[in-house]
Amino acid sequence: MLNSLEKKNITVALAGAPNVGKSTVFNLLTGLSQHVGNWPGKTVEQKTGTFRHGDILMNVVDLPGTYSLTANSAEEQIARDYLVKENPDIVVAVLNAASLERNLYLVAELIELAPCMVIALNMVDVAEQQGMKIDPAALSEVLDIPVIPIVANKNRGLNELVEAISHECVQPKKVGKVKHIEYGRDVKKIIDRVEELVPENAAGPYPRHWAAMKLLEGDNQISKLVRERITTSESAKLESYLRENENAAVTIATLRYEWVGRMVSVVQERPPMGQVSISERIDRAATHPIYGLLILLGIMGLLFTFVYSLGIPIQQFLETNIIERGQALISQNLAFLPSWLIGFLNTGLLAGVGTVLTFIPILFFFFIAFSVLEDVGYTARAAFVTDRFMHLLGLHGKSCLPLVLGFGCNVPAVMGTRIIDSRRARLLTILITPLVPCTGRMAVVTLVAAAFFGSLAIVVSIGIVIFSMIILIIIGFILNRFVIKGEPSSLIMELPLYHVPNPKLIFLVTWQSLKAFIKRAGTVILAVSLAVWLLSVIPTGDISTSILAQIGKWLEPLGSLMGLGWQMMVALISSFIAKENTIATLGVLTSGQAVGITDQLHALLTPAAALAFLVIQVLFIPCIATVSAIKTETNGWRWPIFVILVQLVLSFSIAIAVYQVAHLFI
Amino acid sequence: MESERTGEYLEAIYKQQSKKSPVSTSALAEDLKVSLPAVTDMLRHMKEQGLIDYRPNRGTTLTEDGEKKALGLIRRHRLWERFLTDVLGMKWDKVHDEACKLEHIESPDLEKGLANILGDVNTCPHGQPIPDQQGKIKEEKASPLSRARINQAVSVVAVDREDSQLLKSIEKLGLKPGTELKIIEKGANGNLKAEMNGRAVNLGGEMAAVIMTHPAPKKIDTGLQSKIPLTDLDTGQTGIVNLYTGKRGMLGRCLSLGFTPGSPIKMVENYHKGPVLVKIHDTSVAVGRGLAEKIMVVKTGETC
Repeated sequence: MLNSLEKKNITVALAGAPNVGKSTVFNLLTGLSQHVGNWPGKTVEQKTGTFRHGDILMNVVDLPGTYSLTANSAEEQIARDYLVKENPDIVVAVLNAASLERNLYLVAELIELAPCMVIALNMVDVAEQQGMKIDPAALSEVLDIPVIPIVANKNRGLNELVEAISHECVQPKKVGKVKHIEYGRDVKKIIDRVEELVPENAAGPYPRHWAAMKLLEGDNQISKLVRERITTSESAKLESYLRENENAAVTIATLRYEWVGRMVSVVQERPPMGQVSISERIDRAATHPIYGLLILLGIMGLLFTFVYSLGIPIQQFLETNIIERGQALISQNLAFLPSWLIGFLNTGLLAGVGTVLTFIPILFFFFIAFSVLEDVGYTARAAFVTDRFMHLLGLHGKSCLPLVLGFGCNVPAVMGTRIIDSRRARLLTILITPLVPCTGRMAVVTLVAAAFFGSLAIVVSIGIVIFSMIILIIIGFILNRFVIKGEPSSLIMELPLYHVPNPKLIFLVTWQSLKAFIKRAGTVILAVSLAVWLLSVIPTGDISTSILAQIGKWLEPLGSLMGLGWQMMVALISSFIAKENTIATLGVLTSGQAVGITDQLHALLTPAAALAFLVIQVLFIPCIATVSAIKTETNGWRWPIFVILVQLVLSFSIAIAVYQVAHLFI
Repeated sequence: MESERTGEYLEAIYKQQSKKSPVSTSALAEDLKVSLPAVTDMLRHMKEQGLIDYRPNRGTTLTEDGEKKALGLIRRHRLWERFLTDVLGMKWDKVHDEACKLEHIESPDLEKGLANILGDVNTCPHGQPIPDQQGKIKEEKASPLSRARINQAVSVVAVDREDSQLLKSIEKLGLKPGTELKIIEKGANGNLKAEMNGRAVNLGGEMAAVIMTHPAPKKIDTGLQSKIPLTDLDTGQTGIVNLYTGKRGMLGRCLSLGFTPGSPIKMVENYHKGPVLVKIHDTSVAVGRGLAEKIMVVKTGETC
């Protein structure tokens, strides 16, 4: 029993299926107090935050969005482990009123684990628009759980929800009053039998009866856990019984949906059949194999136009006004400092990390555009349209979006692969993501192409993008066929209803993504920038005699196969810090000469070598930030090293081939 | 002769008992077209034999022994009916009377031989279930066609009256166990207009009362209706999820998204290439083609 005077600190877990507006509820409750991290040992986002109501401090935990609590995915496992192990004071189940039937399935599972629950019936306005009449009071009565109708994205009903949460928490808990689903005699007998076959304590922290049901449902995690804790003979008995009753999984799910059906029939009045909703009407075009693809291309075109037309001028403004002016100011006004310190500030800090940070505006617009598409509900449609093509690579539609995001920056793209539910598809996507030319690489490509190919520069730039896409497809195909083991997975995904985006939510999501990027720039990128800068000043302080130059000269024989001198090799290597660093490095290497970068490039490269340089530049090993993201997301060094080796071999061999052919013609 | 009469009584009591127990004496008299005193006499006699539990003012129920005997008779009756139609080629409206005579031959070998020659049948030609050797009977839950709702799709389970005139007219309509019907209109005196195999038929009230049916989707269980992969549903068509034939790994995901047997499903977009888009449990769900081929459905109709 809880007493408001005794306990003022309560834990509130938000549970719900994807696309029910759970994040909106979470963001409204916690605002900027939220903390985004990972669930321990998992690459699944964990969001926590606090909210104060009267003298109660609520610690709100946003559980991952799941349709059920059977461990089909890491998300589902996390959600139920949290409920079982952390035992939150109250669970708020966020439901989408417009698809009550699907959402109540999770409730059916939740009431078996959560003794104290409040239902937030979200999007009641959408349900009404669709002609559904839902009676929250009736739902509350049949479930014996408080039901609060809300419209989260219009901030309606949130106060009532908070009231209900605190009310439930100070009230004595209802013991034994929770209504479980009746599975019927036959199924109950089978569940009971399994329960008998699972010895005491073999289910760990999980309730035995519940574990028995999960075993019948074929839950991998629970069966592994139980098998580890019982003897071989017990295990054999259990296994054979489970095999005999293999169909129980289907029966249990069916009974749950039947229970849901009964609940729905009591509380919901359906619209007349045959009514086509606005979402469905839009989908006729958006999911069409031809129009849908055209719409997707159109939206992507708009997205890039939006991002670049707004982002690039700001990036350039920052570069000239902050980086370059800063460098000038440091050189002029801080001349009394030792020259190595000036070099450090100018080259190591401003040119390295500073340049990376000037790309934040571009990323900012990218993140905004993407969260708008996500919030509106379009991303699922894009996945649907591209599914057919992604199958060639053993992937499905969901992989398309991280790859598109890769055009902005590979780092969020690698992190964005979290939306892919199959491990194999996710790994494959991560491995090919670095072949997507990001903004940084495109900056170099545009500069070099403009310097050498004049009016054909645009054609060459676009050609390079298409070229790297072709390489991506080939590599993806090979990885899928010959390298990564396992079966290609299938797409199965809900297409949420379209709705008006919520600016607050978009702002928060964008802010979280940017924060992650800045953190990376401030740590990993800073460290590596400094290391490279050190290499460029040791031992003499002059770059042309530095260790870096030595490395470049040592690589010159290899470079000469592509027509690249040591300076170009050094520039290439420095792109490991950040792709756009190539330009900065060239600037440093050739500084002292009073000519623009275009003329310097002409001095260093022939047109054929320039072409080879473009090729190697887009295919070269990913930047340090991407490598570290790959390491985090794949839990180890194996795959980042694999990616580095593959791209090293790939970029050099193709660039050499390109040069050898091209210098015969141009 | 006497045992034949006893047999008829046993069968009559058994059938009435399944509707209302205990069975009233007057109802028996009406059913067997015998006078009330004669029935009372016969019941007393049967009570002495230990076949029934009979109390003059309350009615009759079968004892365990009596029920076993009754089921044996019913088994033989229905097996003979099958034999007469399937082997001898007699019309279904003629076989009842013949079987009434033949059922009284109590010979285990003959019964076994009959069952063997008929193979795997479990209903009589009129759709009534045949009890097995142990006297177990699998009664299908069914309700008369007269009680079906308008627009409800039902399938015929059995005809619950062995009246040759009625059976003849039912046969003329082309209606037999397994036929699917949909009521279009309900008229006076229980007359019905129904859609059957794509044409409209008129059924009399008497007929509608004895044609036993159950809702059509239930036929999934009997496997009578053909299952098709989800990918074979065209845009706009509806169906009922039947089963999932793919790998166990994706089963949980399919179930939690609502692809449970018996769930109504509507094909929203199927371009015969790439993923399909379906409506199930109030939401649009995209399913990759490979997976959709593994989800079997029973087509129920076309809507748009």
